[in-house]
Amino acid sequence: MGTINSAFSIMSQALEADQAALNVTANNVANANTPGYTEERPDWQQNAPINIGGGINGMQIGQGVTETGATSQRDRVLNERLDQQQQLASASSARLSALNAVQTLFTPDSGSTSSSSAGDIGSDITSFFDSFSSLEANPTNNALRQNVLSTGSTLAGDISNAAASLNAQRTALDQEAAGVASQVNSLTSALAQLNLEIQSSSPNGDAGVLEDQRQQDLSQLSQLIGINQITTENNGLSITTTSGQLLVSEGQSFQISTGIVNGVTNFFADGNNITPQLASGGGQLGGYLAARDQDIPSVLNSLDQLAYNVSTQVNTLNNGGTDQAGDNGNAGDIFLQPTQVEGSALGMSVVITDPNHIAAASLGAGTGDNSNAIALANLASQAIVNGQTPSNYFSNFVTTLGSTVQQVQTENAAQNASITQLQTQRDALSSVNLNDEASSMTQFERSYQAAAQVFTMLNTIMASALNLGEQATVA
Amino acid sequence: MRVDPNYITNLAGALDQVQGNQQLLTNELSSGVRVNSISQDPLAAGENVLLLNQIQQDDSFTQTSSLVTGQLQVADSALGSVVTQLTQAISLATSANNGTLNSSDVQSVSNQIAGILAEVQSLANTSYQGQYIFGGGETSAAPFSTSNATSPAVTTYSGDSDVNYLQMPNGQKIQLNVPGDQIFLGSGSNNVFAALNNLIADYSGGKVNTQQAVNDTASLNTALNYLSQQRVTIDNSITRLTAATDAVGSQQTQLTAAQTNLMQADIPQVATQLSLSETQQTALEDVIAQLGSQQNSLFSKIGP
Repeated sequence: MGTINSAFSIMSQALEADQAALNVTANNVANANTPGYTEERPDWQQNAPINIGGGINGMQIGQGVTETGATSQRDRVLNERLDQQQQLASASSARLSALNAVQTLFTPDSGSTSSSSAGDIGSDITSFFDSFSSLEANPTNNALRQNVLSTGSTLAGDISNAAASLNAQRTALDQEAAGVASQVNSLTSALAQLNLEIQSSSPNGDAGVLEDQRQQDLSQLSQLIGINQITTENNGLSITTTSGQLLVSEGQSFQISTGIVNGVTNFFADGNNITPQLASGGGQLGGYLAARDQDIPSVLNSLDQLAYNVSTQVNTLNNGGTDQAGDNGNAGDIFLQPTQVEGSALGMSVVITDPNHIAAASLGAGTGDNSNAIALANLASQAIVNGQTPSNYFSNFVTTLGSTVQQVQTENAAQNASITQLQTQRDALSSVNLNDEASSMTQFERSYQAAAQVFTMLNTIMASALNLGEQATVA
Repeated sequence: MRVDPNYITNLAGALDQVQGNQQLLTNELSSGVRVNSISQDPLAAGENVLLLNQIQQDDSFTQTSSLVTGQLQVADSALGSVVTQLTQAISLATSANNGTLNSSDVQSVSNQIAGILAEVQSLANTSYQGQYIFGGGETSAAPFSTSNATSPAVTTYSGDSDVNYLQMPNGQKIQLNVPGDQIFLGSGSNNVFAALNNLIADYSGGKVNTQQAVNDTASLNTALNYLSQQRVTIDNSITRLTAATDAVGSQQTQLTAAQTNLMQADIPQVATQLSLSETQQTALEDVIAQLGSQQNSLFSKIGP
């Protein structure tokens, strides 16, 4: 009969298993605040029983427990879902911060003061055309003529400043985007290395700490760029951009290279320009590129249209009238005449310095005539900018831009709310819950104490067996 | 069911949101403006551009109309003086035509009418802020001059027949001037200066060709009536301008009210929201403090 001895063996294994479980708990508590750490649970395995007596009449006797390691509490689907949502939220968040910077250039005028606030293009447009209305009253008056020049300069200056700020913001976004690309490259290299380690160390199961690191890298990568994850054999992973360009294929990573095309940074994968795909792909990079290549150019184009049409129409009328100096039909341009729509806003400026070159009189009329001033003032109510009056055009532009910003704000808020929910779900499963750990620790401690107690009692029993019921030296 | 152990982090996020909201509300309170960025209310921001545009236009028209009213009043008062002068000339001519005056008195009438002519010409050359208001589009030089080389003398007009208008915000036009030739040099017997010059010639030298003088006096009378008709145009413009300025003024008041409604923060409402937000902040802070305290960890309950 080896039963007391085997009971000793069962108990010593139990003591080891409980110690191992306590180690797992200790490790969980130690890593409670480690980013990316996934809570581990000890794995218990019942030892194979032995059959005493043999055959079908034998007895199955349990042989205790072994602690076989620990399993990370991970849900890959949930993690991937969180990564995808993170990509969307990062994109809209980067785009939103760019758009917020854009919209500060067009802060609404409160109108509480009679004078327009500085930089308000809407008021500038009205003031400029109003200056021609005032000139109707006394077309030869130098002060009124001077007023046309000063309101014109304000309008041109504010439009030009806004365009310059937009260009500066675009350059800043360009630099940010280029910086993101290098971070993406270092993360994809790290992921390829991790893939190799995971494939060799645990091809068939959860890789624990290595998997935590890979998950952490993936979630960082998801903040930067939109990706697809494809699980491959032996626990490997391939990563592509959302549009399908390969970034990581198991142990190999493919770098995104950058190059300047038309003055802005473009992104290449495997020799192909993937900039447009990245712009709609998600992640910070997607947000930056969407703002750089779509939002800001669209705002700039609106300003260009405004500047081009106002400059051209005003110049045409000024050249079609008679100025104070008596120039018939060759009074000259008021604004620098743009050659094309693109860049008109940035280049808008008043080129005449002599107010006498404003043609208030119609062609061939005396200098006291004001017909051309009326015609110039009437431009304010004519559809000269893309089928709209200048003020209506600017008003619609403001509404459109404001709506875009508002829309991205709403998107971003919704995506962040969804991230919070997913994170809550993920953390409920994977994060270290100290209360749980306290209860686990108590439980393992108790079973350790119980095993130790059983061990002591077995010792007593063994002593009794050795002494055969007599008082003897063995206690 | 397992719970997210990091809920305190989420609460801190909620606290951030509350504080962001408070910042927004405080901003509204301090500026008094509801829409501080165009994305807060894009439609209102667009509407604001148009309202301010109209308000500014009305404001500008009000200023312009006061300038123009001055010019029209100067023109009207000049024409008023011309009427007085011409009436006096007619009465002088009538007295000279009844044959009771001696030669020197007739000569004196001729001289007095010559004086009236000079006075009328000077009134016809009236300028306002450097503009000769009866010169049509040629406002930089005096439009009327009289040459005594012939008898009767000839008064010529160097202006043109250009008419200026002031366009109102609603697109209607108000006539700003009547060209001098239309007022003083009408065709046929509507010509003020010709009638005056003829009368001066009629009475010069002390002898009166009664028939001619009577005809010329009648012409001057006709010309005076014609001039008065032209003056009505100026008076009409003044009346219309006054009415338009009043209308624009009341429109401006309405627009300003509309703009204020659109953009101004509802202070009591914002203050209430701010107060609610503060309560929420206090509650959140208390909850975080409570949950974060050591007593809530199970580890604090189990000892060695």
